[in-house]
Amino acid sequence: MKLFNEIQANQQLRFINEADPGKVFRLEDLSLLSLPGNTRRLALLYLDNTLPAITILLSFLKSPHVCALLSPDLAPHFKDELERRYEPAYIYDPARTDITGYQYAADQPLFTRDTLKDVNIHPDVKLLLSTSGTTGSPKFVKLSENNLLENAKSIAGYLPVCGTDVTPLNLPVYYSYGLSVLTSNAIFGGTLVCCHTDILNREFWSGMEQLGYTSIAGVPFVYEMLDRIGFTKKDYPSLKYFTQAGGRLREALVHKFAAYASEKRYAFYVMYGQTEATARMAYLPPAELERHPSAIGVPIPGGTFDIDPDNGELLYAGPNVFGGYVTGINDLSDYSQPAWLRTGDLARKDEDGFYYITGRINRFVKLFGSRINLDEVEQLLAINLDVPVKAVGIEDKLMLLVTDRPEVDEQTVAALITTTLKLHPSVVKVWTVPELPLTANGKTDYTRIQKMYAER
Amino acid sequence: MSNTEKLIHAFSEALAVPQETIQDDLAYQAIPEWDSITHMILISQLEDTFGVAIDTDDVIDLSSVGKAKEILTKYNIVF
Repeated sequence: MKLFNEIQANQQLRFINEADPGKVFRLEDLSLLSLPGNTRRLALLYLDNTLPAITILLSFLKSPHVCALLSPDLAPHFKDELERRYEPAYIYDPARTDITGYQYAADQPLFTRDTLKDVNIHPDVKLLLSTSGTTGSPKFVKLSENNLLENAKSIAGYLPVCGTDVTPLNLPVYYSYGLSVLTSNAIFGGTLVCCHTDILNREFWSGMEQLGYTSIAGVPFVYEMLDRIGFTKKDYPSLKYFTQAGGRLREALVHKFAAYASEKRYAFYVMYGQTEATARMAYLPPAELERHPSAIGVPIPGGTFDIDPDNGELLYAGPNVFGGYVTGINDLSDYSQPAWLRTGDLARKDEDGFYYITGRINRFVKLFGSRINLDEVEQLLAINLDVPVKAVGIEDKLMLLVTDRPEVDEQTVAALITTTLKLHPSVVKVWTVPELPLTANGKTDYTRIQKMYAER
Repeated sequence: MSNTEKLIHAFSEALAVPQETIQDDLAYQAIPEWDSITHMILISQLEDTFGVAIDTDDVIDLSSVGKAKEILTKYNIVF
């Protein structure tokens, strides 16, 4: 309720659906669901960014229930697995009309479970975000209302968010960055436009012109697209600022967008974060962009960084640090924030106090902005194949599947991963090597594989 | 290969779908395989196949197979 109350208190808040830009809604105009609230229950919400989906999300923020936010495009068998594992009381999924064991209420677009079991849910647990979007990972990040509220406050503390803004929700709200755009602007901003999460749509640019968007948010791939469609060759009279997070943007593009921003008097914010910190941990003040183009910047208001002297890992402390992971329903009974969040990234700090990411400890690869857990990819391979195939990331450009068994059919393995995870064939490559390198203690030496691939 | 065959091949490679799927009325986002990611791959594939540099404004306008033919015609590719 705390977060919802803050949203409700924003007198400037309006909602527009991109598909029907003539209609402007206040919060009280939206048909929020009334959900029974005596017992706290779990909901799985497969959200696109349309106004009906945002209305569902707001309904759950208003209710005492816990919601897990998920991609509506998740493969059906991943949805089944998640629902079997978590037995959610509620499901929102516009893609389905029937779910076994659930009733669909005609008056509210929500599936309700036939037989409800009481679940022990910690009072602080409010929202769950997936750690790896496309693998249908059952592992979620646990967030509290306080996490969401504090991160929204910090973000609005350094971004020029205000009540006259018209903010397009052009990133998925089930993704922490997209959700942070929603929360920070719902509390401190003005009009939220529920729109295509895809800037290659003509509608997005008519919305920009007609509704006068004041900001754009993008992962590196969005900036690659903006560059390709000639974004920096034009003027956008309404635009105030644009933000970038979700991985490192190549330096040439940082310079290009920084130069464009300074010429047109827009502000360009390069930022850093992860779901385990609700979303945001650092930002680079626009005035520092030209001098520190590869930096992630300084901690957001309320946050602190430290670097582990033993392994060089970046550590973060702040009120937005999550309360642990959930891999099954029993994990909902606990919420405990670590004093320091271990980011899994290696970092250094320069003499001016700016932080730089120098490497990664964690086992994931980011392809087109979405994080894919490589251990989960290996598990998927192990279930389907009877020979070992290892997965490594190559510079967030390629998922390399490595085997030392010549009998492995490279095409079959590649097809298994591209179809199950819905990845483009160009970013998945199977590589057969004479021998898989091992570390001193007999584990796969992933760093060595990356080196071997670079030197091949 | 005729230009139409080349176009179908480029589309089918970029979107990773069978060649039969590539019909003139196939539009951007009409199938899950044609999203923003594969659209960017498609643009480079078309540029490589036909040896042209597709103009920034045409990247968004190229929103169906038929539209692709129309746009490529501007670059003197005959279908």
